Amino acid sequence: MSKNLNWVYIPLFLIVGFAIIPFLWMALSSFKTLAELYRIPVTILPDQPTFENYHKILYESNVPRYFLNSTIVSLGSTALGLVFAIPAAYAFARMRFRGSAFWQVCVLVAHLLPSATLIVPLYIMLGYFGLLNTLLGLTLVYTVLTLPLSIWMLTSYFRHIPVELEEAAFIDGASRWGILFRIMLPLSLPGIVVIVLYAFVATWNEFIFALTFANDTSVKTLPIGLAEFSTEYNTDWGAIMAASVIMTLPIAAIFLLLQRVFVGGLMSGAMKG
Amino acid sequence: MRATARGQGPITFILPALLLLAIFIVYPLVSTVWMSFTNDSDQFVGLDNYQSVVEAGRTARAVKNTIYFVGASIVVQLLLGTIAGIVLNEKFKGQAIARSLTLVPWVVPGIVGAMTWAWMFHTDYGVINYILLSTGLISTPVRWLSDPNIVLPSLIAVNVWKMFPFVAIMVLAGLQAIPKSLYEAAQVDGANFWHEIRYITLPQLRPMLISITLLLVIAGVNSITIIYSMTGGGPADRSLITSIQIFVEAFQFFNFHTASALSILFFLVSTAIIVVYIVADNNKRSAQE
Repeated sequence: MSKNLNWVYIPLFLIVGFAIIPFLWMALSSFKTLAELYRIPVTILPDQPTFENYHKILYESNVPRYFLNSTIVSLGSTALGLVFAIPAAYAFARMRFRGSAFWQVCVLVAHLLPSATLIVPLYIMLGYFGLLNTLLGLTLVYTVLTLPLSIWMLTSYFRHIPVELEEAAFIDGASRWGILFRIMLPLSLPGIVVIVLYAFVATWNEFIFALTFANDTSVKTLPIGLAEFSTEYNTDWGAIMAASVIMTLPIAAIFLLLQRVFVGGLMSGAMKG
Repeated sequence: MRATARGQGPITFILPALLLLAIFIVYPLVSTVWMSFTNDSDQFVGLDNYQSVVEAGRTARAVKNTIYFVGASIVVQLLLGTIAGIVLNEKFKGQAIARSLTLVPWVVPGIVGAMTWAWMFHTDYGVINYILLSTGLISTPVRWLSDPNIVLPSLIAVNVWKMFPFVAIMVLAGLQAIPKSLYEAAQVDGANFWHEIRYITLPQLRPMLISITLLLVIAGVNSITIIYSMTGGGPADRSLITSIQIFVEAFQFFNFHTASALSILFFLVSTAIIVVYIVADNNKRSAQE
């Protein structure tokens, strides 16, 4: 396109600024004392930088417990999702069977269904099986939440792997499962990384199912813990900002470390479906 | 390839996943259909629940709010996202870092974004009112989240902030698929930058923008996190959208039967949108081939 590049920087600064200024503000606020947060004129940099908000979050709140719960539920559902997604994606990518196209559309519909349609049905069902207020219940719900897109993305990844390697192994007498685990999986590692990231981030960030299905301190997750600091009568903004930073760090770290894989994978996954 | 020894058929591979989806999506939906036709004592009441949902003033208000919220969000998201995608596609120093930073709002937890914006929108101590007051643009503090006429635009701003990076990255991917030769030919014909955007870039992106629009509709009707955590649907239902109404009906008023009826109606509308999306997306792909 245009060879003249100077103009780019003006919209660029506006766009990037709009995107990240709230996070800068969140981080700066987390180091301010309560007195400073509630003072006019507003200060940009903390007057007397303090860790009191972090101290409160780490030692005087349930946030560490929620952090653990979030970690368990996110890792658990991500792992479980892989177990279900890998064989299904392999079948969709490589096997011919009746109804294959139909079932793939069903998977896509399941992915696109707004969670609000499922809150009440799932609540009733989890209650029936005694899975409300359990980490297992939330883990299963999250597995189902991310499974459809994982299958969809992995199917398109598998399709891009040349079929000749498998044919050779098949002639040598390898079983379908053997081919999947010994040939397909090692070749698909980047694709697997993408769905692991997607599933982890999606479940780490999930709010409304967690709010509805996990009300006990022992099973609450971080997003709920964060919302808890804000009540009608009293909102501890310093604590909220510090908890926000803590909650964002794992996601930011993963994202920055694997940015290239993540963005590339999302772009190709999205383009194909 | 040839099939199939025992345990090697397609069924063994897909059944576990389909079964899990059926148990956690199809079965609950079917039982919700049943709930929507019964009352608390499990008696069949026909369409009574549907009637009371449809006649409730709240439902109409929520539908209106949803359309306003989703419609306005999408227009701005598409506009800003497309501009951002085009800008980020240019070559400049620090392109990689600028792309990552732009994506941040989309990747971080929605609740974090919501809380941060709620703090910036704070009437008395928020930075936004402070800046507007001290530059003289306003003379009294704006109640961003509690003024009935301003609450939805405020929430739309947050929703735009959250989702425009998604549009930007899709546009970025779409731009890379446009053949360079089109631009070269246009330059030979003396086209300037705006001509290129108007006559090449936008028409080429159009099928993708249409399918993104439908994805944004689905994401928009589902944006519970931002609205529920920032306003809870208030003040006086002025930011209540249908998905939050379902939640409130079931878990604050414990009217599971009317909430079920509402869920089913919501499901039908969402499914219609999804079907349109899938058809449009298929057309897009067959057009590309």
